[in-house]
Amino acid sequence: MEYFEPKSVGEALSFLAKHGADAKLIAGGTDVMVDIKFKEEPGGLVNIKKIPGLSGIQENGKGLRIGALTTIREIENSALVHEKVPVLWEAAHQFASLQVRNTATIGGNIGRASPSGETLAPLLVLDAKAKVAYSDGEKVEPFSAFFQGPGKTSMGAKGLLTEIEVPYPAPGSKGVYLKHAVRGAMDIAMVGVAVMITPDAGKNSIQDVRIGLGAVAPTPVRAPKTEALLKGKPLTAALVKEAGALAATEASPITDQRSSAENRRWIVEALTRRGLEQTWKAATGKEVA
Amino acid sequence: MSVTINTKINGQSVTAVAEASTSLLEFLRDTLEMKGSKLCCNTGECGACTVIYNGKPINSCVTMAADANGAEIVTVEGLADGNNLHPVQQAFIDTGAVQCGYCTPGFIMSVKALLDHTKKPTPADIEDAISGNICRCTGYNKIVDAIHLAADRMAGRA
Repeated sequence: MEYFEPKSVGEALSFLAKHGADAKLIAGGTDVMVDIKFKEEPGGLVNIKKIPGLSGIQENGKGLRIGALTTIREIENSALVHEKVPVLWEAAHQFASLQVRNTATIGGNIGRASPSGETLAPLLVLDAKAKVAYSDGEKVEPFSAFFQGPGKTSMGAKGLLTEIEVPYPAPGSKGVYLKHAVRGAMDIAMVGVAVMITPDAGKNSIQDVRIGLGAVAPTPVRAPKTEALLKGKPLTAALVKEAGALAATEASPITDQRSSAENRRWIVEALTRRGLEQTWKAATGKEVA
Repeated sequence: MSVTINTKINGQSVTAVAEASTSLLEFLRDTLEMKGSKLCCNTGECGACTVIYNGKPINSCVTMAADANGAEIVTVEGLADGNNLHPVQQAFIDTGAVQCGYCTPGFIMSVKALLDHTKKPTPADIEDAISGNICRCTGYNKIVDAIHLAADRMAGRA
């Protein structure tokens, strides 16, 4: 295995260009090291941790810019993230264990493109974007088009994710990330559901709603039919029920050692209902009628 | 391909060569013959390999040895001062927070990292600090007792 520690994004991209799909990027390493031990070594390993400027959380007025090498623990400890985008904070807080959070990076969680990646459903409902460096320039891509399958992203083996742009939700919005797993810590989600609600000015109906589903499709996905059903309406108990059932049909889960597909659909339904009720109450101060 | 690693372990400068694919845990146990940090799941799930890396607890099994370059690492071997055990080690003995003992070095490093920054940890602080350490003998109650005792002793309350 060849090993390379680039000092710049450009150096990393040239190594990737030379080795193609045979090369693998490593940041925190909490996933890649397991692959090296239990699957196979890549032909070349590119450790990007020494590249300066890829870490940290900055506010730019309309949102946050999170460097790809920012650790999950740094996100969890960020007062800005906690205050401005709590839905992402909740995902960071429920992420694996303290040891893993101290090492794992948000860029790694995204680049890994696991359907159950903890930060991904929250990034989808935040309408966040990936800033990716390619040898012919930089591209900003919405995460809605970024994930293409388990372990597959639009940047393939040619790009390097440098930054995540997280716009602030509209004023008055409330979000939540609900994770279902057997153990509180160190367990992969059976299902993760992120919900973001923006009420209208009078707090009587849903002006905008975004629902992100994790671990129930080949990629993290939004639930567009459920969102369309909810928009413009006051949230009633009957609508919550209907939305939960519809969200379950928008998932395409598999059966694996963590859960059956059928059980996953039930959990999508339950968590969607719970997420809608919680965010509605937080955003409007009202119980669901 | 091998890499040269210049690091500081338990306050001592160390230079050694390892294969690039070597984990920090393998580097500690096999290259440096420091067997205190334990190999168990080797996937970053059980915490038996926990060491303190630049002040923070991490799983050494899923950390590259190459990332030790320029870093400061504390392992369980670095806690005792001669024959005097660290208060966390002594508290684990005094409360009987050990059964088979295999998870103990990892727990002790997680607890040391907690108490380095927190004088009086809350139950939630403790739960968070040891959430990545698994004890298969299920001795968690005594481990929590040990953490309270160590915190009290380190803060001069006991």
